[in-house]
Amino acid sequence: MTVALWLGSAAPARSIRWLDGAIATAAKFGAVTVVAAGDPTWLDLAADRASRLGLASAGVPTDLQLDYLGWAQVMAAVARQLGATTILVDEASRPERFPEVAAIAELLDAAQLTHVVAVAPDGAIVHASRIAGAELQTCRVRGSAVLGLRIAGPPIDDYPTPTPSASMRRLDLAALGLDPVVLGHRALPPRANQQPQRTVERVAEHLAVHVIPRPRTRGA
Amino acid sequence: MGAVLVHIDLDGERPHPSSLAALAAGRAVASSWGATLYAALVVHDPTEHGSAHSTGQISTKSIPQVETARAALARAGADKVVAAITDAPVVPLWAAIGSAWQGVLDHLRPRLVLFGADAPSAAELGPRTGARIGARLLSRARAVGLDHVELRDRDGGYVRASDGGAAVVMIGAMRSTIIGDDDVDVVVLAVPGGKDARIELASSAPAELAHTRAVIAIDDEVANDPQAMTAATRLAGLLGAHLVGGAGAARNGKIAPGAIIDRGTPLAPELCIAIGSPSIDLAGAASLIRIGSSGKGADGALTGPVGPTLVELVRALEDS
Repeated sequence: MTVALWLGSAAPARSIRWLDGAIATAAKFGAVTVVAAGDPTWLDLAADRASRLGLASAGVPTDLQLDYLGWAQVMAAVARQLGATTILVDEASRPERFPEVAAIAELLDAAQLTHVVAVAPDGAIVHASRIAGAELQTCRVRGSAVLGLRIAGPPIDDYPTPTPSASMRRLDLAALGLDPVVLGHRALPPRANQQPQRTVERVAEHLAVHVIPRPRTRGA
Repeated sequence: MGAVLVHIDLDGERPHPSSLAALAAGRAVASSWGATLYAALVVHDPTEHGSAHSTGQISTKSIPQVETARAALARAGADKVVAAITDAPVVPLWAAIGSAWQGVLDHLRPRLVLFGADAPSAAELGPRTGARIGARLLSRARAVGLDHVELRDRDGGYVRASDGGAAVVMIGAMRSTIIGDDDVDVVVLAVPGGKDARIELASSAPAELAHTRAVIAIDDEVANDPQAMTAATRLAGLLGAHLVGGAGAARNGKIAPGAIIDRGTPLAPELCIAIGSPSIDLAGAASLIRIGSSGKGADGALTGPVGPTLVELVRALEDS
């Protein structure tokens, strides 16, 4: 099987621990291409972390800000160019990346597994364990598939500033058969201010969507 | 106005509470927009309903597996119930129930599809549904407004009646209400041969603490404050979260022995609330709230005295 790892379009939100974990997991498959898209600083970081484990990397430089379907189109095009049939996705480093797992699978007509916490390649089969609520499901995966990884590397406080990578293969959108103007239809509108909430009321509002639903009885 | 479709996961014979929360949001939206509200569930039946000759057939026969759920869905305000019958066992995987769910989408062509954010199938079905119908995707949104109801998420994303295009929305907590009677039409849609053979479920077991959905991490010193500890326990109950801490808190009986987390334990919960300064790695949390400390990358930080702040937060959440 030919394997690619999609690290997404932006650097991890808080730590590179999950990025390192995804790369280490991908390395179990042997020859893997690590793929990222976005600004040059992020591409350099992705290439640097991949090269530390001896993996090849490919980058798609772009300043587009896309939604999950837009980035999935980019990764699906890269996967076709690489001939990759198994796509691993680091879905833990940034929360908005998780839906890209399903979107890439849809575009490649592949099977999907989200929330994967352990992977073991075994010839043509991949053994994958995923979290489904309070359960751990263990699945056998055969053929074309996209796996969303939540696998951490070791704790890391600091890491060397990456330098521009000479080994990263640069892929532009046109070469992938993608028109930036068309992709722009999947552009994300500007989002709300991401400053932390600092009052009890605002934090309660933030948490309200996580409260476990409890049915009300008639007349309550 | 197009259909509003709510996916229903079953918890035994009854609708999952998170699916009922999504149905409550769907009811509010459908009433405001003048749309029909469909509640759809996938049901396993290896016999006649799911057999090959019945592909795509629709009937209004009684389906024993959905009778309990039918009454609950009717009371929660569904205009119609759709039962997609598949010959594949129902497990929360796209590979198992994706084809049957696709049958529902093809049949209804909904403009808005809702999932309970904490329903078992939501993670596998929600984004794939969005990708399949080319929809915008909102996670952990809720219905706001009275006359003109819209769905909003925390990042500023929204779905309104005037929008063009389809949307898939994962609904965060919303109290389900009893607004209808027990009677509703059930449309039975037979969608056989649905299992994707590329994914085979080999086994299933309880997940470890490290993989839990929501975590409240309390530092050893704060755990000795009875007011803070009581409020943290209530907060954990409200959020369905696991209360975790260090070895010191466990030694003092403040947390369960199995709830010890150290810095090397990888956690990737959807929500983490850090109380005080617990020595754990919070980097994998999708959403992070700090109480009694500040730090970069948090979605919220309350820096007042921990005990009273927690009490106030719990009260605010209970009243919301």
